[in-house]
Amino acid sequence: MKKLVAVFVVILLSCAAPGCITSEKVTLKVLHAGSLSAPFEEMERLFEERFPDVDVQREAAGSTKTIRKVTELNKTGDVVASADYSLIAPMMYPEYADWYILFAKNSIVIAYTNDSRYADEINQDNWYEILGRLDVKFGFSNPNDDPCGYRSQMAIQLAELYYNDGNIYDDLVEKNTNLRMTFEDGTYILRAPNSEEINPSDKIMVRSMEMELIHGLDAHEIDYYFIYRSVAEQHNERFLELPPQIDLSSADYADTYKKVQVVQSSGNIVTGKPIVYGITVPKNAEHYELGLEFVKLVLSDEGQKILDEMGQPPIVPAVGSGNVPQELMMLVYQG
Amino acid sequence: MIEIKGLSKNWRGFSLKNVNLRVEKGEYFIILGPTAAGKTLLLELIAGFCEPNEGGIWINDKNVTRMTPEKRGTGFVYQDYSLFPHLTVKENIEFGLKIKGMPKSRIEEKSKEIMDILGISHLSHRRPRTLSGGEQQRVAIARGIVIEPSVMLLDEPLNALDARTQIQLRGELKKIHREAKLTTIHVTHDQTEAMVLADRIGVMMNGEIVQTGSPEEIFHFPLNERVAEFVGVENIIEGMVTSNEEGVATIRIDDHIMEAISSAKVGDRVRVCLRPESITIAPSKTLSSARNSFSGMITQLVPLGATCRIEIDCGFPLISLVTKTSAEDLGLRVGKGVCASFKASSVHVF
Amino acid sequence: MLERSKLTFKMSQEKTILIFTLLGVIILAFIVIPIVNMIATQVILDVDALIKTAKDLSVLKSIWLSIYAAFLATLIALIFGVPLAYVLARRDFWGKESIESIIDVPIVIPHTVAGIALLTVFGSHGLIGYPLSNYIGFVDALPGIVVAMLFVSVPFLINSAREGFESVDPRLENVARSLGASRWKAVCEITIPLASRHILVGAIMSWARAISEFGAVVIIAYYPMIASTLIYERFLSEGLSASRPVAVLLMIVCLLVFILLRAISARWKRYDRD
Repeated sequence: MKKLVAVFVVILLSCAAPGCITSEKVTLKVLHAGSLSAPFEEMERLFEERFPDVDVQREAAGSTKTIRKVTELNKTGDVVASADYSLIAPMMYPEYADWYILFAKNSIVIAYTNDSRYADEINQDNWYEILGRLDVKFGFSNPNDDPCGYRSQMAIQLAELYYNDGNIYDDLVEKNTNLRMTFEDGTYILRAPNSEEINPSDKIMVRSMEMELIHGLDAHEIDYYFIYRSVAEQHNERFLELPPQIDLSSADYADTYKKVQVVQSSGNIVTGKPIVYGITVPKNAEHYELGLEFVKLVLSDEGQKILDEMGQPPIVPAVGSGNVPQELMMLVYQG
Repeated sequence: MIEIKGLSKNWRGFSLKNVNLRVEKGEYFIILGPTAAGKTLLLELIAGFCEPNEGGIWINDKNVTRMTPEKRGTGFVYQDYSLFPHLTVKENIEFGLKIKGMPKSRIEEKSKEIMDILGISHLSHRRPRTLSGGEQQRVAIARGIVIEPSVMLLDEPLNALDARTQIQLRGELKKIHREAKLTTIHVTHDQTEAMVLADRIGVMMNGEIVQTGSPEEIFHFPLNERVAEFVGVENIIEGMVTSNEEGVATIRIDDHIMEAISSAKVGDRVRVCLRPESITIAPSKTLSSARNSFSGMITQLVPLGATCRIEIDCGFPLISLVTKTSAEDLGLRVGKGVCASFKASSVHVF
Repeated sequence: MLERSKLTFKMSQEKTILIFTLLGVIILAFIVIPIVNMIATQVILDVDALIKTAKDLSVLKSIWLSIYAAFLATLIALIFGVPLAYVLARRDFWGKESIESIIDVPIVIPHTVAGIALLTVFGSHGLIGYPLSNYIGFVDALPGIVVAMLFVSVPFLINSAREGFESVDPRLENVARSLGASRWKAVCEITIPLASRHILVGAIMSWARAISEFGAVVIIAYYPMIASTLIYERFLSEGLSASRPVAVLLMIVCLLVFILLRAISARWKRYDRD
């Protein structure tokens, strides 16, 4: 019996041994938006190749939550990458960060499958009419939680302007939820109620995160949903691209996008703007220098190639804001 | 009346093989056998807790082989009493009556009566866990009897009790049976219990009923060596019949001659069985009606409480049981020469 | 001499108890400190928020929904789980071990996975959801919440009830049947009362597990929001200071219910005492 226990202990220890070795490695914590999971997985591989002594640990979550991990949950992160660069300054400045870099962009598309109702018919001109049909169900993520959520709202409102049809937002959203768009002083404003009060009807599936809607589409619970182009691309889903006037992808239409605002239940106001990813290294990072190295990789040619393949076209050159560290200056255009 | 024909059953390593048995109405029938002989399984088959692979069971001429236990009307008492721990003594006893839907006043009356008979009225509101073994067994018996079962099935009912309570309850079982004339099948491995209580005994070994008969028949005339050994016939000696005159056989054992009542023929090789308590011990050869008398020396002496087991070497070994008092009176000890004698009628030959 | 050996015996006994107590205190602290810390922080630093939360109708609604849905899940678990537990305790049959393992699967699999599996089956195009779609909808509805809670919590009830039934000697049922009770009656009058403590404890555990479920529920039914979804939601949209009072309130309510139920189960007739 004693022998058996001894053997068991030895086996346990020998199993644990490789773990011990890796734990001697430096752990680089990268907190990033869920939509960056695919490209950052590649980045992790590359980075670990280049720095064999570093173990990159990625944590994907909604952009707001990602930042809150650093600012409220006392989690240290060595890199923070948000799907909305504009969250970094108000949430992290000045205590947790004083710079960020815009490195990639994305757009809002409508994802669907071959089994979705009217999949054969849908196009850039009739999508809002099809989504409005009685037997069609669609989804978007929660505008309070998820940048993809409020951007979907913005895209639907922008459609009213582009197609010159003032009923699109009413028919698709207001009839089926407690979300209300108002027009004040030349701006369209959605004042989102508390999440529990959004109260969607059977027609609409709301989930906290855009990723959770994928299951809804897979289970045919919904026919369409608003999602980042990158996610649709990475999941090999069919998707309908929307005109650039709507889809928040193009800096050319920044003035158009600006006409829509979302006031989140927390009081946070977000204004429509091109979807641009922001990245920074928090001041309290445990491995600040390595964090910068990771950012360098993201901004490098290889990093840009990865981003492009994953449906998140890189911004070339990347645009810096705030006190961008000296060693990154080479890679960015200081805006 | 219970009739069992060709009953066979295999269950969790126990097996019954072609059991045939008939228990008459009002009879106290004891199934005697060593542990793991399949005795409990037989009782559970009669009660209907499991179904036989082959054969049938009749209770009062009704075939109950495929009947559910609740329709058979048997009273069952397990060795560990199996009282319902969440019910009081009274509730335990009234359980069967309530299930039958008997009117309340009648239930009260009957449970009071049975508790009085078994002397447990003062326990009526206690819970089983607080009772002594003897008390619990009384409750279990009362619970079974009160439904007036067609047959009472007792599975080693006295086994878990201390010696004194055993004797006491044995007496009560006898008394109750005499008064209620309840057909009873009682399973035990204890010879004394069988001897005291049984009208008839069935000896069960390895799943088979080997011999049935009155206690007298079983204990003095066991069918074969296995039964003889089990029922406590400690002296089994081989010999050869040298003469037989009018049923008195002379049997030669080495250099010794023994007489026995038997119809064995001259020249038969036989076994002689002799119960140890049939042998009397005297300090020297005495005149007695006993035809058989052998001198020998005590080789072993084991006190067994009230009795004493003595091994004597008379040229062949003999085992005798004497009371403690007479052992003291006779000054018996190892090495002492004595004379062992027994009647020819005590000798069983097969 | 004898005295001394007695003494050392006693000391070594005491030592064992001492070490056990020490280890026990550590694990107890591990459980208590985060809970107390959270409640205390809220009560001491921001009791106003707690009071405000306690008056917030949507918070109360979500907590009530959690309690109610968990209750329904437990009820269904009782109706379907107790009979299964009885069969498992009383019968040996081919494949019994596999069934017992299957019952434990919901404990093992990640709850998000459970949620996806349930959505696939109970969704309006799912294997079960589709034929029922005219009568009952699971996605974003109370039935969906109950189904998710049931899935993750029913193993606790079945396992506890099975243990309970196993602890009741089958001979008691035999005797009851010989006394004229049908199997149904014997089970109802003898076995279930004797296993009731186990069943009750199993039901409490299952209810508690159901209340705490988040991962599986949120996938099949984001709406109507149960307390755990709301806490998550408040954390995402407004941060820790908004979600903590809800969490503390849920914890307090559940703790009270838990203590109450435990007290009931402790008072439950103990047959080994009089």
